[in-house]
Amino acid sequence: MFDFDNLKINLIRLILTLLIIFFTLIFFGISPFEVFESIIYGSLSSESKFIRTLMVWAPISLASLALIYTFSAGMWNIGIEGQIIMGAVGATFIARSFLGEYLISPYIQILFAMLFGGFWGLLSALLKVKGNVHEIFSGLGLDFVASGIIIFLIIGPWKRDGIASTGGTDLFHKSSWVPTIGSYNFPLMLILIILFLYLISYVVLNFTSLGIKLKATGINVLATERFYFKSDKYIIFSYLIAGSIAGIAGFSQASGAYHKLVPSISGGFGFLSILIVLISSKNIYFSFILSFMFSILIVGGSQLQIRLGLDNSIIGIIQATFVLSWLILQRIKIENKILQKISGMFYK
Amino acid sequence: MKIQIKNLSKSFGDLQANKNITLSLNSGIHALLGENGAGKSTLVKIISGQLSPDSGEIIINGENIGLGSAKDSIKNGIGLLNQDPLDFSNLSILESFLVGINENKPFRKIEIIKAKILDLFEIYSIDIELSTKTNSLSIGERQQIELIRLLYNGAKLIILDEPTSAFSLDQKKMIFETLKKLSDEGIIIIFVSHKLDEIFEICETGSILKAGELIESIAKPFDSKKILSKMFETAEFHKTEKKYLERVNKFKIIFSKSDLFYENRTDFVKDYTFGNVIGIAGLQGSSNDKFIKNFFSNEFSETRILNEFGNPFKIENYYYMPADRLERGLFKDLNLLEHYALAFSLNKTFLDWKIIKQTAKNKIFKYNIKSNLNNSLSELSGGNQQRVMLSLMPDNESILLLEQPTRGLDYNSANKIWEMILERKNNDIAILFSSTDIDEIWEYSDIIFSVSGSKIMDISYKDNLTKETIIKYISGLV
Repeated sequence: MFDFDNLKINLIRLILTLLIIFFTLIFFGISPFEVFESIIYGSLSSESKFIRTLMVWAPISLASLALIYTFSAGMWNIGIEGQIIMGAVGATFIARSFLGEYLISPYIQILFAMLFGGFWGLLSALLKVKGNVHEIFSGLGLDFVASGIIIFLIIGPWKRDGIASTGGTDLFHKSSWVPTIGSYNFPLMLILIILFLYLISYVVLNFTSLGIKLKATGINVLATERFYFKSDKYIIFSYLIAGSIAGIAGFSQASGAYHKLVPSISGGFGFLSILIVLISSKNIYFSFILSFMFSILIVGGSQLQIRLGLDNSIIGIIQATFVLSWLILQRIKIENKILQKISGMFYK
Repeated sequence: MKIQIKNLSKSFGDLQANKNITLSLNSGIHALLGENGAGKSTLVKIISGQLSPDSGEIIINGENIGLGSAKDSIKNGIGLLNQDPLDFSNLSILESFLVGINENKPFRKIEIIKAKILDLFEIYSIDIELSTKTNSLSIGERQQIELIRLLYNGAKLIILDEPTSAFSLDQKKMIFETLKKLSDEGIIIIFVSHKLDEIFEICETGSILKAGELIESIAKPFDSKKILSKMFETAEFHKTEKKYLERVNKFKIIFSKSDLFYENRTDFVKDYTFGNVIGIAGLQGSSNDKFIKNFFSNEFSETRILNEFGNPFKIENYYYMPADRLERGLFKDLNLLEHYALAFSLNKTFLDWKIIKQTAKNKIFKYNIKSNLNNSLSELSGGNQQRVMLSLMPDNESILLLEQPTRGLDYNSANKIWEMILERKNNDIAILFSSTDIDEIWEYSDIIFSVSGSKIMDISYKDNLTKETIIKYISGLV
């Protein structure tokens, strides 16, 4: 079921989008070459930088994967941020418990992160299915509730000894950190989990009846009944899966990136992932690549100020230009024509 | 007004829907004929600006008009009456006129507009309060008001896309009278239909489309034999009288007293043998479709189908096919292959695409579906969508619940579809269908339920009925 034409179209679209960004930067009087070079330098030029990029990629790729499930079922899972946050809370709960000092801690953390995130997703789903609350509103509401819970925990029950500050909890015990190997702390376990989840999801979405039923639910709830399945069940499934995967993203943030719980633990990666999944049209391999590109942008962007004296907000402009021009190109469908021209050239 | 269409062509992928169509009209009611998929809808959509053609031009009164823009078409006096009314059902008549008014003025004098509408209502003898909510009107009335709204907005050319498929006889009469009046006023009307009797009744000229090409222009007096032979490959469809197996197994239908017309009746049960075709007759707007759906979803009434021991059948024994294809029947963004995956590998965790592909190919061949396996359903013509719905019927012993199974299909396609349905008499439990077409009910049913409003008026074997008695029952006359 691998769609090569689709991949080709996406690649052409990517090139066009980069061209648009190129000219946007020139319009602002900034050399695009210097910017691209700095971004690559800042994100990929050394092993430690690469691993930093990987640690940003991990939550983004996980959140994007999570969203593919809910988007497939036609659900705008705005609550993804809350699900990441609750995942981080679940992970922190284990890291701070007596288990936190044992090497088994990260694995139990993942389990709890999935439980907490999955539960948060389930709330949105139940509100949708039982209460008929639109998922965008419930998701947004639950995001706020999750932000409230995390701040309460940080300045309340989980505050640092003596001081209650929004700077975060105490650092976790080292056994509770995401396990790494080598002197550059390559997070092998996390990467393997991500690859495994992507592979499983590829199979689930393309080769199981669950995958196709999710997709069908997303297109026409009214028609599902006559194919003998209940769309409600599949909406709940999609949220449970998405919440659990987003929970792992929260775990990665808490135990991998910060080694503690901070108020802004989700890093806005949930919302960013919504853009990624929109751009990739729920396409799994493209989400995988795009989330990596966006992490390069985020990590490399911090170099712009140091190296070029440019404000960090230029990254926001690049991201926004990327998303907007992508969506416009998708709408006007110019790539097909280019593709035909190119293949025409080859056949001559 | 004079409209000239020159060399219009349009293709979707490999499919050439319109091919060099040239046509010129300046008055009267013009018929557009052709079998399903001949390109009628595409042509209509191009003229009304909903689609932009690959090549060709449209000239109105000597001037080229912009193509592919519905706004331009309206400005040039082209109005389209859709198959189903495209109005705002929760607005009043006056409000829907206000929404649709084609003027760029921020403020409007409602009294003037009202007077103008009422004038038109008087001319076309429509007697409905302007404050009436649209959704309390019948489909026929709504279409009539849509017609007036097109006139109000200055339409000089009105296209009707199979307007009568949703009408009762009275409503049809109403619309036809309005159309004749409009034509007398000098308005050009393009009438798209595949019902020859209607075309003979009101059209003066016509064009026959076939496989995207305009193959023949016709004019009164029409020769139906010739037209049929041009539309279809064979002039007449040869019906073969088939013998079906004598079945012995029985099922029951328990009728709830609240569904029955006579108030003093009680619930009662009837036994039928397997393989019977039950037609539920009713006028447009009656509950005949709802009874079909109810056997599947049990939400409308207490009337049920039971097995011979009085127990309900399993849900998987039913195949329910709703009348509105894309709204409740199919998944418009899933492709054909994925539909077969949904229908034929339900209880499997993993999908075997090889087997599904094989099943799909067989079904597409058997049901004569003109499409690629990778085409999404929204890319298919209405007739093909209908055939896809039927092709998704499970292979095992079923109770088929078919809402208007041949809605929107031409004569030839409908006959072919029925041949396939009837074939299933030999191994299905029962075949129930609803229709507003008395001829269809009469032709194919063994047992007929006549429905008027939301009540069942009569339950009889066909042998005990005549067409006239059915018409009496469904009109509520007893």
